[in-house]
Amino acid sequence: MTSVGLPARRPPETALSRAAAWIRNPWGRPRFLAAATWLYLAWALLPVLAAILFSFNDGRSRSVWQGFSIRWWWGDPTFSVFHDPTLTHALTHSLELAVLDMAIATPLGVILALGLARWRGRGSGTANFLMLVPLVTPELAMAVALLLVFTQLSIVPFALVNLGTTAQVIGQVTFSLSYVVVIVRSRLASIGPEYEEAARDLGASPRQALRTVLVPLLFPAILASMLICFALSIDDFVVTQYMSSDAGTTTIPMYLYANARGGSTTPAINALATILVLVTLIGVGAAFAILRSFGRRTEARDTTEAVSGLAALEA
Amino acid sequence: MSDEVRAEETAGGAIELRNLSKDFDGFVAVDAIDLRIRGGEFFSLLGPSGCGKTTTLRLVAGFERPSAGAVLIDGADLSQVPAHRRNVNTVFQSYALFPHLDVLENVAYGLRWQRLSKADARRRATEALDLVQLGELASRRPPQLSGGQQQRVALARALVLRPAVLLLDEPLGALDAKIRKQLRIELKALQEEVGITFLFVTHDQEEALSMSDRIGVMNEGRIDQIGTPQDVYETPTTVFVADFLGVANLMSVEAVSSDAGGCELRVGDFRLRACSGDTSARGEAKVVVRPERVEIRAHDGTPPPNCLPGMVDRTIYVGSNLHVVIRLATGALVQASIANTGSVSAYSQGDPVLVHLPDDALRLLTGDGDDAARRTEAVAEDPGGAAR
Repeated sequence: MTSVGLPARRPPETALSRAAAWIRNPWGRPRFLAAATWLYLAWALLPVLAAILFSFNDGRSRSVWQGFSIRWWWGDPTFSVFHDPTLTHALTHSLELAVLDMAIATPLGVILALGLARWRGRGSGTANFLMLVPLVTPELAMAVALLLVFTQLSIVPFALVNLGTTAQVIGQVTFSLSYVVVIVRSRLASIGPEYEEAARDLGASPRQALRTVLVPLLFPAILASMLICFALSIDDFVVTQYMSSDAGTTTIPMYLYANARGGSTTPAINALATILVLVTLIGVGAAFAILRSFGRRTEARDTTEAVSGLAALEA
Repeated sequence: MSDEVRAEETAGGAIELRNLSKDFDGFVAVDAIDLRIRGGEFFSLLGPSGCGKTTTLRLVAGFERPSAGAVLIDGADLSQVPAHRRNVNTVFQSYALFPHLDVLENVAYGLRWQRLSKADARRRATEALDLVQLGELASRRPPQLSGGQQQRVALARALVLRPAVLLLDEPLGALDAKIRKQLRIELKALQEEVGITFLFVTHDQEEALSMSDRIGVMNEGRIDQIGTPQDVYETPTTVFVADFLGVANLMSVEAVSSDAGGCELRVGDFRLRACSGDTSARGEAKVVVRPERVEIRAHDGTPPPNCLPGMVDRTIYVGSNLHVVIRLATGALVQASIANTGSVSAYSQGDPVLVHLPDDALRLLTGDGDDAARRTEAVAEDPGGAAR
């Protein structure tokens, strides 16, 4: 009798071969990739979390844990963020710049986006390209250029501006515009021309169609742009630093830069940094959430991709 | 042209396109079209994608400016009139219902610009919604409606403004087959009830045939033929029109001689007689016969005239009909369509058959001639003409 189709003897199962099978399983989760991602996240975030933790330290040390306390936030009458005039002023000036940037860059950016989207003919390619230049220019180069323009150039509009809050606002608006344009344009592209055409077909003049149909549809993109401008402005260091004039124009990032390595600082500086992180997180997070909840799925996805791309660029 | 006809063409939503052309950076989308649509007519522009029918519609609506020629409605030249001031409304292919307004507000949108009181606007919008049988859905939002319901809202939104002309850009394209068939009947009934001129753009020839008073078949920016559905289907004037409308069994033939009733054709070793089309032509030509006119006979005895032997290539069962594809002895493929009457007619691959092509079903075409198109339009206008 011939042996037909008997299964070959399976090799003995050792611990090593079981582990190899577990790793090589094609239906298993991508464990190596997941591990690499978690490791990277830990590496990037743990220092930030540590800094936030030490803002709640009981003693003056920023590296040795001495217990939990909120004295550096508003407890301590001299040194806490709430009481120390330097720190409080840095906070309020940051907020002031952020609100101004938001209020100026968003309407200008929306108008610019609409204009660029409708521009047909010569020059539109160049204009579109120029709009993206601030996004890719190194911030230092832009800051130095602005510095030279405001201090050395004696042509009228530039000569009227001295370094200080005005210059800081102008500098921040200059690069915020590009972000607003990118966000609004991507939303415009997903809306398409049909709604406005339908409105015009039904009797609305082009301006009326814009006001009653397009702007309501753009609302989530406008709101998201405002929040992004806010977050960008609060975060910004280079341009704000170069455009500043005296101690009165200090913002949170500028203060952190100047004092973080000094010896006579308290965990109040950690508290200030935590405020910075929190505000930025809330700003970007709210922008995401708004974009996701409004509009159809595909539109939300395009715009959130644009926003996340920008957030990554800025980070 | 009689005065009667002329009066009909300058009242109640009559459209005239005079030498209308549009090109985009060198690409000619619409090539010198001349068209006259009567008031109250249901006119379809039929053609494949990219033939220029949507561009023509947009030119009438006012979204594009003509490169040459003019658009006239009721005799008035609209070339300088912007879209929002034309008495023309459009139903878009994707409906374009405003997502931030509910259904009633969508329908009442156009009335905002007509300075009606809020109560009047509400009343008219509700009436329009009742006209399309959507009264109960007034407070829903567009994303909550089905495709067919959205389409009706788009219709109501356009009709509430009582335009002279309604433009429809493939409005039934996004719906499934059953709803499409039902809406075809409803749209036609609506048009008859309201009495407005409908200019309907589609690539679906069944839609155009079933709904239109007249059809204009477009190809590469020009109109190949204008006529009633019967004219366009049964007496096509060009190969393109014959091929686009339904299945066209086209054969290359040589026209040899003609007499009082028709002409003699030579195809391969066989002779055929055709009584329809350009029977005075000579030389190389094409002949077209519709599948429902092709008769299949058994191969026995002496074949009657206009019969060609062939072999069954394959059969296609589509429920209501059986399509039998036959390869003729001349090498050409011919499709015959047999109605499903319940009696079993079994044709299998390889069966030898005799194909009878009745002489009045064979139509001779001598290619795509402009004179042929103009001749057809003249016939359509002339109530006494009967040339076939």
